[in-house]
This record gives sequence, structure tokens and C-alpha cells, in this order.
Amino acid sequence: MLKRWLLVFTILWVGSFVPAELMAQENANRVTAKVESELSLGVVVMCEGIKDYAPVNRAIVFSLEIGKVYCFSSFDHVPQETVIYHNWYRNDRLITTKRLALQRPQWSTFSSIQLREADKGPWRLVIKDKTKKVLRIVKFSITE
Amino acid sequence: MSMLASFFTNIRWQDILDILVVSYFLFRLYVLFRGTHVFRVIVGIGFLWIFQRIAGYMGLIVTTWAMQGVIAFAAIIIIIVFRNEIRNVLQVKNVGAILWGVSHKMVETPVQIITGSVYEMAKRRIGALLVFPGKDVLEDIVQGGVPWKGVLSKEMVLSVFWPDNPVHDGAAIIQGDQIVEVGAILPLSRKSDLPSSYGTRHRAALGLAEKTDALIILVSEESGKVVGMKGDQVREINNNIELEKILLANTGTSGDYKGLRKRDKLNLVLAAMAIVLFVAGTWFSFSRGLETLATLEVPIEYMNRDPNMELIASSLNSVNLDLSGGGTLLKSIQPEQVKVRVDLSKAVVGLNSYTITSENITLPPGIALRRVDPPVLDVTLDIPIVKALPLQVDWVGNLDEDLILEAVELKPDRIKVVGGSKILEKISTMYTEKVALDNLKISGTMLVKVALTPASLKVSGDSKDRLSISYVIRKRVPAGD
Repeated sequence: MLKRWLLVFTILWVGSFVPAELMAQENANRVTAKVESELSLGVVVMCEGIKDYAPVNRAIVFSLEIGKVYCFSSFDHVPQETVIYHNWYRNDRLITTKRLALQRPQWSTFSSIQLREADKGPWRLVIKDKTKKVLRIVKFSITE
Repeated sequence: MSMLASFFTNIRWQDILDILVVSYFLFRLYVLFRGTHVFRVIVGIGFLWIFQRIAGYMGLIVTTWAMQGVIAFAAIIIIIVFRNEIRNVLQVKNVGAILWGVSHKMVETPVQIITGSVYEMAKRRIGALLVFPGKDVLEDIVQGGVPWKGVLSKEMVLSVFWPDNPVHDGAAIIQGDQIVEVGAILPLSRKSDLPSSYGTRHRAALGLAEKTDALIILVSEESGKVVGMKGDQVREINNNIELEKILLANTGTSGDYKGLRKRDKLNLVLAAMAIVLFVAGTWFSFSRGLETLATLEVPIEYMNRDPNMELIASSLNSVNLDLSGGGTLLKSIQPEQVKVRVDLSKAVVGLNSYTITSENITLPPGIALRRVDPPVLDVTLDIPIVKALPLQVDWVGNLDEDLILEAVELKPDRIKVVGGSKILEKISTMYTEKVALDNLKISGTMLVKVALTPASLKVSGDSKDRLSISYVIRKRVPAGD
């Protein structure tokens, strides 16, 4: 008798979770469908170097002494081969644009600039897709 | 001629007032001190001053210096030597008399007083001897006189010759309106053909008349007759009218007192005109005599700006004006008298260029504009807008080598800025004032201000100009590619 009751309770308890799981799955499918058609930018960091395909010494202020500054950007989802742009601005002036290729399904890439004395000041890096849509802006500074 | 025309067209009301005030001051000095020794000395100093100015213009350095010294010394001497005379002039008269009263002084011998006195003495048979000096100096000829220097009056004359007076036998010397000396002993005539009726008094009178050009009036004690003697002329004077004529003839004036008063007025008018001309000439020599060049830096003022627009930038804050004019005028220029104004009524949004000409410049009369440097002014006008902009920290300095500033968070991370649309159009980020890294060792928070560059930008009223920075510092790991 007790065993029968336990079986019924277990069936009811498990059964109560089934619609929620089904709904979550449905939503996830919808989001995935949308995301799958779009480029998805994950991590973007400014760093002092790249080692083993990973950023080293992530920072927002860099000394001229280190010689180079890197921008590492990682894309979680690349629906198709495409390009992105790393636009480097000092104050509000565009200094350089780096065109970077992306491969599907996931891709990490980086660009860098060589530092000179005249580069001191506030900078920002704007990442744009091939349609020039701004994907992310990162701010950093170069100091003496 | 053109100089004269320029003088009248450029003269300011201040200049006219200047000339009138000084002229009136000098005229008052003339009115108060005319006929006195002080006045003569002042006139002398005036000539010295003119001489000094001429010497100055001619570049005679030592002469100018010496004249300055003499004038300064003479001014002190006047005050010391003539202090009594000055005091008399200033004390006797009330303030009104000093400032605007005109006393028509009797500068000639008061003939009527003398005439009245003489005939009074003749009537009373009082012997008298009155001497009216001419150009000859009497000091060496007349002896034993008692200095008197009393103002002439009928009573004084009678008292001098009153029989009990110790000096009644001597002569009274009269100059102007003063009895200068009494009891003077005159040299006796050595003529032997004199009438028997002539006594010592007659002989003395004749003696002086023979030796000098003085007029001597004698009243005989015995006969009461009045006799006038001058040179070798001896004339009995029978009535006061005749005596008056003789006295007036001796002083070189007529007996017409109305005419004298008219002449006195005329003298005053002429003196006033001469003074005005002198002062105007002096003023002209000071202000226009030598043309001087000067450069003034004058700030630019803007007028008639469209209230919807803002002056964002201008290439100049001030201009240098090369001016010419009299040295004194240039030195006396006040900053508010020189203006450089630019009319912005036709200005448009963006860059506007203006050439600054004499039409933009206000100068005091008598000053001419030679050059404007620089002549071109660029003005940028804009319509102010409000724009929300992201903020970024402007770091300077260095952290310790083993530290890294890994992250920063600004609160707020955006700010509303008011400024010209053309300027804000080009700005996409606002920066904080410079934040030094050198002293940062560990993570923390600080408050900073926004750097408003260009200075025409302002933080909108609903934004804070103080921002909170939260920063994260961590240890560095060796970097590599």
C-alpha cells in the first residue's frame, strides 16, 4: 500500500516538472535561432600581451614603456565567415583601423598598436562589424 | 589753417572747461593783485615760465633746468617777501570778493582827496608842502624824511601839517594813494631873484622843482595861497578845479572819472581776453604742440549678438591700436574712452571674419588712429545645445611596475554638456580632469571633476560635475606574445 502511494507521489512530482522544462527548452530554441543568425561578441579586453591565445595582464592603463597594447576580442558565435574592425581612437581622433577576419563557429582575434611618445592620453577602441555597426567600445589610457 | 580747423573740430568740452577754469583762476589773480608788487613779480615769473618752455622746446637742457629752479625759488620768495601783501588781499576781502568781486581800484593819485585837503589847509592858513615824484629818484635829494606809508586821506594830510605836529615843517611825499614820507627836508633854491613874499617853504619847493621832475604843491601859511611848482615853472593855483587838472596832468590821466571807470573796465576785459588767449595757447602747446605716437591694447567688445547664438571662439581678445595726438592728450586717455566694438548683428553660425576699421573704434577727440594690429578678427558663433556624452578617465603618471590598473567604473558614466552645436558635433567623449596614478597602490574610490574643453562648454544643470571613480588594482604577471 505504502509502495503504491510512494509510486503515485513520485509520478506526480516528476510530472510537475515536465511542462516547465518543455517551456524552457522552447524558449532556448527561439533565442538560439536568433543568436545563430547573429555575430555574438563575448569577451573584449585590453591587455599587455597575448599568450597561448589568451590575453595577458588585462588592464585599462598602459605605460609607454611596454611598447605595445593589444585588444583581444572573443566571439562566442560566428554564423559565417566575416570581418570585424578594431578602430583605435586617441581622444576623439581615429588613429588606425584594423580589419580582422572571423571564422565560424567561434573565433578569437586581436589587434595591437605600437606605442610612441605622442600616444599618451585617453584612448578608446571601437569594435564594429562589417556593416559598421558598433559592437563594443573599450576605454583605456596610455601614460608615460 | 588746417591745424586751426582741426583744433576747433576736435576740441572736447573738457578742454573748453579746462581753459575756462584756468583762465578764470588767472583772471582772479589779476583782479586781486593788480597794482601790487606781487602782481608784477607774478608777471615776471610768467615770462620766466614762457622762456623756460621755449628753452625746453629748443632742447636747451641746462637753461630749462635753471629756469625751473628760478621759478620754483621765485614762487617761494613771493610767498615769503610779499606775505603781508598777499594776506591783505586775501584777508580784507570776503570769499565772494575773492571769487568773483571786481573792485575798480583807483590806481592813480586820489586827486580829489588831495585837492580837498589842500584847499582846506589854505582856508585854515596851514602851511603845507606836498611832493608828487616824477620819474627822478628823490632819495639822494630829499633828506630827513620820516617813513609813513599811510593811505592817503584828507584827515591824515591835515594832521601831518597841523602846526603842533613835529613834522609839519617838512614836506610830505605822496605816491599813488599813499603818503610815503613826511617831514622831508627839501633842498633850498639858491636863486637870488625870488619875490620877497617867498619864505623858506617856497625856497625849498623851488629847490626840489629845479633839481627833479617832481610836482610840488605848496600852501602858504601867511597868505593861504596855493602854488604849484614843476621844473622852472611856478604857478599860483586859484581854485580846486585848476589844482585837479594840474595833478591829473602830472599823473598823466584826465579828470574824467566815468572815463576812468570805463577804461578800468576795458582794461579788465582786455586782461581777461589776454588771459584766455594765453591759456588757450598754453593748452594748445601742451596738448597739440607736438604729435606723439602711442600703442594701446584695447579689449574687443561685441554688440548686437543674436541671443540664440553664443560666441564660441574668437581669434583675438584684444587689438593693438597705434594712436597719434598730443602727448598730454595721449597720457590723459582713460581706458573707458577707447573702445573697439564689433557689430555681430549680421553674424551667422560658424566662422565670421571682420576687418577692424576706424568705424569699429571709438576714440576721444584729438586722437587719431594710425593702425590696427592685427586688423582681422575671426569670430565663431554657434547655437547652444545640450548633449549627453560618455565619460572617460584621463589617467596620467605611472603605477608601480608590479601593479596593473585592471578596471575602472565611473559614476555617472555619462554627462550632459551645454555648448555650441558645431563644437559638440565633433565631441563624442568627455574626459575627467587628469587623475594621477603615482600614488595609487590598492583598489579604491575617488571623486574627480569633468574637464570642460573647450572652455565654452558647461555642465548642464541636471548633471553633476563631480564624478566617482572606482578602480581595481592588482599585481602584474609577466607579459608575452
